[in-house]
Amino acid sequence: MRDVYIASSSMINISRHFNRGYKELAGAVVKDVVEGASVEQLDYMVVSSMLAESSLNQLDLATILTQHLGLKPMPAIRVDTGESSGLAAVEIAYSLITAGRADTVLVVGVEKATEFPTRVTNRFLSKVLDYEVEVLRNITPPNYAALIMKEYMKKYRVSREELTVWPVKMHDNALRNPYAQLKFKITPSKVLNAIKISEPITLYDMFPIGDGAAALILASSRVARKSGKEVLLVRDVVSATSRPLYLRDDITRFESLATLISMLRRKYGFRIDDAVCEIHDSYSIYAYIILEELGIARRGASYKEVENLVYVNVSGGLKARGHPFGATGVYQVSEVYNVMVKGVGGVKFDGAFGLTHSMSGPDYNSRLCLLERVV
Amino acid sequence: MRSSISIFWRRKDSYYKVLLTRCKRCGRASFFARDVCPYCGSSDVSIVKSSGRGRVVSYTVSYFRTDSNEEYLPLVIALVRLDEGVYVTGELRDVEPAEVREGMEVEAVLRRYSSDDPYGLIYYGLKFIPVIKRC
Ligand SMILES: [Zn+2]
Repeated sequence: MRDVYIASSSMINISRHFNRGYKELAGAVVKDVVEGASVEQLDYMVVSSMLAESSLNQLDLATILTQHLGLKPMPAIRVDTGESSGLAAVEIAYSLITAGRADTVLVVGVEKATEFPTRVTNRFLSKVLDYEVEVLRNITPPNYAALIMKEYMKKYRVSREELTVWPVKMHDNALRNPYAQLKFKITPSKVLNAIKISEPITLYDMFPIGDGAAALILASSRVARKSGKEVLLVRDVVSATSRPLYLRDDITRFESLATLISMLRRKYGFRIDDAVCEIHDSYSIYAYIILEELGIARRGASYKEVENLVYVNVSGGLKARGHPFGATGVYQVSEVYNVMVKGVGGVKFDGAFGLTHSMSGPDYNSRLCLLERVV
Repeated sequence: MRSSISIFWRRKDSYYKVLLTRCKRCGRASFFARDVCPYCGSSDVSIVKSSGRGRVVSYTVSYFRTDSNEEYLPLVIALVRLDEGVYVTGELRDVEPAEVREGMEVEAVLRRYSSDDPYGLIYYGLKFIPVIKRC
């Protein structure tokens, strides 16, 4: 199998970009990432966006973007795996190169989540659940986060207060991230007293709604060598799906994530202690469970260890960096790339591995991307 | 119009009754009528009607606003264990949020799910309500 490298990455700040459409957001990161890559040509473009049909009224986003951006005609495809679409785009790009179908692939994650009032966007994003079984029956994603949180608190005898440590930490981290959406500190009492979303979840247990775009250029070793980009290897991108919440034997576990991390451990013998991570903390409770599934923290006790985590969600996570759905997975890979190669806000990771985790709903699907430093 | 009439009509049995898919291969039963078992993928299934009775395992009071639920907020969304041992998530009505208790006995009744914009369809389906104790 051919090696795949990150040749370049680019992000814009996540915000409510009322005066810029998806074409401007994507255009900005594409221009920047192409300039940074020093590759002669692009063989393929993979675009990810979760809400294109709903929010942009646009089908075939990939083709329309190549037309708008005046890119040389090339194969272009858009992928959707709900909230993990961004990492699915990286997964497809990686596969195209390993399979020998392309040497350089442009990955663009873009989301405009503010084209409609929040209550409309909330309906759109709820459709990551099963429309016929869950959505039509008035179930929304935060309801599941709430049920999981209550079960977790009961099972491990953890209080609501103890679970405020994650969002507080994420807001602290986001202060260092120039691309983060929420750049202010919060306190445990602010989390507890914020407006309720779905009890016991409050506004500060949940990601904010924002627009964003991020891009990567992945390259085969042949191309990466020529342009001096043989630095960070995309070792693997793996994904899995799992059963809906009401069919699970234990709702405090994320089975598909558990499968994926053990697969990576077996295959590459990597240890989580040697990795800097970006995880999919769409709700605080999911962060605690993900930390436990990844082996970063002990089951039922991850909240005790959050304080000391230096290399998890340096960006501020979905909680504070933000969650521009289809772009989030691309942001995460860009962030890990930056923290391993350049350093972010005074934090630089010198270890061997980087890991990003993206999922849709409560682990309805999960994806992991393992990055490895080669020089 | 937000929803499709044909999608709703096609699944109406699963909205108007609590239906379970019972699998002859793996032996498990699951909520909603399907032509395959969501646990093992077998097509050797039969659809059975649940009594619609069960107990609240857990619940949440939801204020998450969408443009199709805003007139009904807050919603109580419960995880219910049916008497048949199968779990289902659904809405709980006819009870003050503060009065919901884990272990509470509930039963399924027909209520309004949502409605499309002015001239659209009104969607009805089952929700749970506390079992009324008759003395
Ligand atoms: Zn089965």
